[in-house]
Amino acid sequence: MATTVNAANASSRPHHTLWGDAWVRLRRNKLAMAGGIFIIILALAAIFAPLITPYGFARQDLTAILQNPSSKHWLGTDGLGRDVFARLLYGARTSLAVGIFTQVIVLGIGLPIGAIAGYAGGRVDNVLMRFVDVMYSFPDILLIILIKAILGGGIYQLFFAIGLVAWVDIARLVRGQMMSVKSRDFVAAARAMGGMGPYITERHLLPNSLGPIIVSVTFNVPRAIFTEAALSFIGIGVRPPTPSWGSMISDGYAVIFASWYQVFFPALAIALLMIAFTFLGDGLRDALDPKLRH
Amino acid sequence: MAEAIIEINNLAKYFPVTRGLFHQAKIADVKAVDGVSFTIHKGETLGLVGESGCGKTTLGKCILQLIRPTSGEVIFEGRDLCELSDKELVPVRAKLQMIFQDPYDSLDPRFTATDIIGEPLRIHNISRGKEYNDRVAELLELVGLAPYMGERYPHEFSGGQRQRLGIARALALQPQFIMCDEPISALDVSIQAQIINLLDDLQQKFGVSYLFISHDLSVVRHLSDRVVVMYLGKVMEISNRDELYKNPLHPYTQALLSAVPIPDPAVEMKRQVIVLQGEVPSPMNPPSGCVFHPRCYRAFADCSKNVPVLADAGGGHQVACLLYETSRP
Amino acid sequence: MAPLLEVRNLKTYFYTQDGVVKAVDGVSYDVNRGETIALVGESGCGKTVSALSILRLVAEPAGKIVSGEMLFDGIDLLKLSKDDMRKMRGAKISIIFQEPLTSLNPVLTIGRQISEGLEFHKNMSVQEGMEEATRLLKMVGIPHPERRVYDFPHQFSGGMRQRAMIAIAIACQPQLIIADEPTTVVDVTIQAQLLELIRNITKELNTSLILITHNLGIVARYAQRVFVMYAGNIVEHGKALDVYHSPCHPYTAGLLGSVPRLDEPRKARLQPIEGQPPDLIALPAGCSFQARCAYSVPQCLKEKPVLTEIAPNHYAACWVSQKGLREWQKQ
Repeated sequence: MATTVNAANASSRPHHTLWGDAWVRLRRNKLAMAGGIFIIILALAAIFAPLITPYGFARQDLTAILQNPSSKHWLGTDGLGRDVFARLLYGARTSLAVGIFTQVIVLGIGLPIGAIAGYAGGRVDNVLMRFVDVMYSFPDILLIILIKAILGGGIYQLFFAIGLVAWVDIARLVRGQMMSVKSRDFVAAARAMGGMGPYITERHLLPNSLGPIIVSVTFNVPRAIFTEAALSFIGIGVRPPTPSWGSMISDGYAVIFASWYQVFFPALAIALLMIAFTFLGDGLRDALDPKLRH
Repeated sequence: MAEAIIEINNLAKYFPVTRGLFHQAKIADVKAVDGVSFTIHKGETLGLVGESGCGKTTLGKCILQLIRPTSGEVIFEGRDLCELSDKELVPVRAKLQMIFQDPYDSLDPRFTATDIIGEPLRIHNISRGKEYNDRVAELLELVGLAPYMGERYPHEFSGGQRQRLGIARALALQPQFIMCDEPISALDVSIQAQIINLLDDLQQKFGVSYLFISHDLSVVRHLSDRVVVMYLGKVMEISNRDELYKNPLHPYTQALLSAVPIPDPAVEMKRQVIVLQGEVPSPMNPPSGCVFHPRCYRAFADCSKNVPVLADAGGGHQVACLLYETSRP
Repeated sequence: MAPLLEVRNLKTYFYTQDGVVKAVDGVSYDVNRGETIALVGESGCGKTVSALSILRLVAEPAGKIVSGEMLFDGIDLLKLSKDDMRKMRGAKISIIFQEPLTSLNPVLTIGRQISEGLEFHKNMSVQEGMEEATRLLKMVGIPHPERRVYDFPHQFSGGMRQRAMIAIAIACQPQLIIADEPTTVVDVTIQAQLLELIRNITKELNTSLILITHNLGIVARYAQRVFVMYAGNIVEHGKALDVYHSPCHPYTAGLLGSVPRLDEPRKARLQPIEGQPPDLIALPAGCSFQARCAYSVPQCLKEKPVLTEIAPNHYAACWVSQKGLREWQKQ
């Protein structure tokens, strides 16, 4: 038999696992790397804020209100004499926390529902998806406001509110992925071997659906960040004194003609963070796309 | 005659076509498989040929209960597989395995070669630890791959090598029967011969039976002991191999054989090809009477009215054609 | 008479992140008027890329025709401007693709797709184009052409779509048609219909045909001369009869030996070519086929063989056959 000849002919290209291969491709994408590095730096800065700036986010100095950027206050002060730079750093904590923790809830609800609908198909799928459709038909922001009104103020309630609305997209995505992977031959092979539903879902369907799910979650983060900023802007997000870029903009809006920095810096921060996640998400999508592999 | 291991009786699979806004009402059936019966014997290779839409792949999946037939029986080890639930089928599945057509789709891209080959062993909880590793290494060698390649992922193998992995996986549980669904169609010509030889050798070694589904008549002739010819969900002709190729009775079989060009210009210069008219009709709307009659160059008046029955034409050669039916009551 | 198409030393490379893929690495062939030649080889040998190169349809920037000459009726196709090349495509040289489902535009009627070329090259109006399209559909054997000309591709079956592609290809009466694996996706009986149709049409219109395929049977039936390709090079060429009956390259001999034949007694075991095709990024020095060749001599590892005339009008690129040591013929 052709033992020796075939042994010599394994691919001569470097041996990569699938994740390794994706990482190599991600590294080549400069924008994605830039986005990723920005996020990491911002996260570190937010965590180590007390070491970076001597000012707290709540310390008011009514003798030094609305000052321009100076060596003492790098980005100036706001209408209550609070240091803008410090508030930006601590506000980053809020934004990142909301962005990331809401995804835990989104995955916790959306993943199982999508997986069950996708695998089971038929009536179960029908019922679940109609429920999803109903949720989908409500306008996001209004639903979040409603949920918050019921749950009350506070940042944890905000996570829930946003998460309870955002899981819908993930559920649909997971369901679609499940259904498409389900039709592939290797799943039929697993069934032909005697594999049953839960085994196939766990070992074949989910791992092969991960790619688009990871990408979707990465794109969801900036949306959550923006939602929090928007809610805080209109005053129903996080409560003062918890810093939030959104409430900074809202405060700054009132004094925009006196000092435009108040609006500019937080808005810039939101924009940069969202762009960073978007670049990272784009890069992840390209890196994880099996069709773009050799 | 060797003993029969699988007996298929009047197997049919209809896919409903529905229409409707709120309630899906059935308007027609796609008769993918429409009353097929034959037997597979121990240690034999039964070739199943036909063109796209003839139902051969659906039939193969019905035998393995990957698609549940609409009606009919699949008798294996004295039981009708169609009657067994998915759970009851699990131990049976160890004995009936499958090789797929697409070497790129039939292997989970996230599994290593070892994972892929060992999966049947894991599902059936057969071996652990050293015994498992030894068995996987043994299987890799059996199909002509080096044991160190067990660490690699499918995308690092060529098409032919992936098919070898698929074959190793199918052999893991020492099945009695392997359904080969167009296993070499997606491979290059020079690699096809390697895989054909491999399948041949494995059959000699282990006495496993094959159902070899293919549209490539030359390959089927090489590997099969007997051949079934299908068209639009029905069996047109069954015969042992040499008889079929030397003396095809059904006009469709004759046209099919004639359509295959021989790799020899001298032969081809003299050979006449039977060119069939028209296209394969849709299985949703099969012709009346004999399903082949609109394209048949030997059709006569009765062919559009009466459905021919698969009957014995002597020596195990069966054909479903009014030309050979001596009398009709 | 000078050949209609002369390809001289064509090199088409693809520049990828992993390296340079030498898809076509110094290929020369020619097609005479009214002749059908075949480019035979397996996947990755470069036959499709060389045909796309003739029409300059190679995907840039990754792909690039690095060097070579392509003389069509005396004109060097590589030196034409993009506009002039566009006037060639469809009018003088046309192509039938392998997969009609993706080669046909799903949102245009079949008639419009046929008449597109006529409108562009022959300045016909839409009305005239559609009338001609109807006539062409009839010529390729589509029933009720006056109705079907308004159908969309998804309303045609696979075989009919290929016929439509043939109609598009012959619409402007080109001098050369390239058929890239035209029947790989269709069934064997439809394949017979389509190939007989293509043969009749090329005879009627006196069109030259380059038939690209991996099917040795099709080549034997429809081509007068054969060019066998492997890993981006032509390894053997000559009249079909000569190449099939006395192959001068081990690869050709190996291919012929590994294919089961319906008309011969059944062989107990096939003679496959062992091993795998080489990686086009990392081609070995010397002969690309050496690793799989049972007849190689030390020279095969060092020097890449060139095409030499082994018998009248029969060329092969192999050191062993040049030295007259053709052992594989003794069967």
